[in-house]
Amino acid sequence: MKGDRPGLFGETARRSRRGSSGSAGRRARPGSSGWAGGRGGGRGRGRPGPRRTASPSARRRRAGYLFSLPGLVFLALVLAYPLLYNVWTSVHDVRLTELLGGSSPFVGLDNYRTTLDDPDFWHAVRLSLVFTAGSLLFQFTIGFALALLFARPFPFNGLLRSLLLVAWLLPPVVSGTLFRWMLDQDAGAYNALLRAVGPDSLAHDWLIDPGTALAGVIFANVWVGVPFNMLLLLVGLHTIDPELHEAAALDGANAWQRFRWITVPLMRPVSVTVLLLGLVYTFKVFDLVFVMTGGGPVDATSVLSLYVYEIFFKFFRFGEGAAAGLLLLLVPLLAGAWYVRRLRGEGEAA
Amino acid sequence: MSHPVDRRGFLRAAGAGAAGLGLGSALAGCGSDKQSGTVTLTWWDYFTLDNFQAAFTRLIKDIEAQVPGVRIERRTFPFADLERQITLGAVSGDLPDIAIVDNVSMNTLAGSGLLADLTERVEDWGQADQYYKGPWDGCQVDGKSLGIPNNSNCLALYYNTRMLDSAGVKPPTTWDQLADAAQRLTSGERFGLAMSAIRTEEGVFQFLPFLWQAGGDLDTFATDGATALAFLDDLVAKGSLSEQCVGWTQQDVNTRFVNGRAAMQINGPWQLPTIKKTDVEFGVVALPRDKEAATCLGGENWVVMASSDHQDKAWQVLEYTQRPSVLVPFLVGLGNLPARKDLADTGTWASDPALRLFLSQLPVARPRQYGPGYADAAQAVAEAEQSVLTGTSSPSAVARSAAPKIDRALEER
Repeated sequence: MKGDRPGLFGETARRSRRGSSGSAGRRARPGSSGWAGGRGGGRGRGRPGPRRTASPSARRRRAGYLFSLPGLVFLALVLAYPLLYNVWTSVHDVRLTELLGGSSPFVGLDNYRTTLDDPDFWHAVRLSLVFTAGSLLFQFTIGFALALLFARPFPFNGLLRSLLLVAWLLPPVVSGTLFRWMLDQDAGAYNALLRAVGPDSLAHDWLIDPGTALAGVIFANVWVGVPFNMLLLLVGLHTIDPELHEAAALDGANAWQRFRWITVPLMRPVSVTVLLLGLVYTFKVFDLVFVMTGGGPVDATSVLSLYVYEIFFKFFRFGEGAAAGLLLLLVPLLAGAWYVRRLRGEGEAA
Repeated sequence: MSHPVDRRGFLRAAGAGAAGLGLGSALAGCGSDKQSGTVTLTWWDYFTLDNFQAAFTRLIKDIEAQVPGVRIERRTFPFADLERQITLGAVSGDLPDIAIVDNVSMNTLAGSGLLADLTERVEDWGQADQYYKGPWDGCQVDGKSLGIPNNSNCLALYYNTRMLDSAGVKPPTTWDQLADAAQRLTSGERFGLAMSAIRTEEGVFQFLPFLWQAGGDLDTFATDGATALAFLDDLVAKGSLSEQCVGWTQQDVNTRFVNGRAAMQINGPWQLPTIKKTDVEFGVVALPRDKEAATCLGGENWVVMASSDHQDKAWQVLEYTQRPSVLVPFLVGLGNLPARKDLADTGTWASDPALRLFLSQLPVARPRQYGPGYADAAQAVAEAEQSVLTGTSSPSAVARSAAPKIDRALEER
């Protein structure tokens, strides 16, 4: 075993991680949730004791409910209540004028209809999809490339990696402001760079031209997202047993073949997780875009989250805003549901 | 009248309202023969910058000393957050007794039922005619007085004296002169004119004067809007105005002016303290006119919330702040202009030529008083301006397509 490989969690953590991908580890997971009433394949099997009336398992289950109660209450307060309130709002005509009187009439699905009939909404949906797809594509490929790079030892590896992480640690408002400044045509660093290496015409007011503003915002978001992708993918790379590569090399597989047939398939679960997290995060990005362009120029970067924000806090049409907000939630929700199903399927298959 | 509590209460952070209430009422009980105890009034505003704090501290201290039985608990929010906080407060029931709001917020707040009707109190007070028409009208909605103007500002044209002198250009007074001057002052990295055309209310605030100067208003956007847009489009086409202005706030514009990247700028009096700290030699003239002279009115209004249990006390506070002996030092401390005509010859604005110019523009300054649909109309205006200045569409085409949106928004009642 090569000890000099920069391990993120150290050697022991790595071994235990690898262990958890074995069958024993797989089964341990559903088993541990058995007391909370999981569909326990492992529950009965684990305790073959004599079955009495109020069995310990029932008592355990009761205790489990009790222990999860504070968490459930917390979730209900901070998640369920606002969400339900939002649903309520979305089927009422809530405007600033009715806020105090409380006479917000029930309007059924009118708010959804208004939203779905609004060309600006669909414009925002398109922008959000382009923004998300573009961000994910570049974040992931660049992140993957960097992860491959940092997975091998070289001088200052750790230092460079920590520096890259700073990008991810910055609050979006800060990175947004930074990029707004760097992409500025007069004073911006990027245009100075472009002018230095090429003709003046390369310099461009990225955020001022409606044709390139979205690209500028995606550029910033990619920069923000790359370290996160790299970090998770690097962890993923460390879970791949180096012996597999060694064996393949002995069998005569070249570097590309080893990458294609060992690294890529084994990285699939991590990749899916990374992409999904990226999707959930990117689809609802607000602060970065808000700071960089405020939705402009014209409406070139008015992504869905900004659309919802404006309906709420610029036009004060709360009912419509709630409806649009729930529609905004739909994409991450569907992606999340798909992922959970997939995880569960994997757990059962093992 | 001197309460020992005043200074102590003041020195403590405004957050200790409850304690202040208890202590204050105990003292009021033994110290005075007034039947009412001390009430704590909550007060919201958006004057967060450091250089405003001294004026507010002093005003609040004076109020607590001079208005019987009042204690003030002040909370400040960032500019963009105040209106949102008020609407969120309306949902959660957490609203202040009094607030100082942007005058354009009256469009949104007026119809909301959130503001207390001050009509009778204002009539008894009888000082309505002391105010400039624009600021005063901005507080009158559907025949009701919903606020009192506190201070006013408006836009004018700043110019760099040295640049104009060396180019042999006189400060422009008409659109043609402005276009000509801007072109002759443009060179290299320097633009002749800088203004804000950002997609927010700031950009609209700077655009509306052009619309009004063209002789129109929001309801004639299809024609006069096209004229105003074409004028600005031409400035950009000739390179006299940077296309980047679609991303500039008024603060950015001023930075360009101070750095010598713009020979002229359209901006308000609140930039004066910043400019005066630099060695830029500047002058200020009225915005150049086309068919009419016009500028946009900014400033803040005092409002009392309808939900307040202490509207009488709140009104007493408002009335107190409007006494010339209180208002003049307060506004001087803020670097703001009065909304009262009778204060024109006092304070720094009587002697400072730049402030004096801004003050002289108040009679032609128009409030953005268009009713609850204004936010939608303003958004349509901002997007129209941006699509012209970025070369996405032609002035006439975009004015024609924006006009029905604006009309629809303004019909909203």
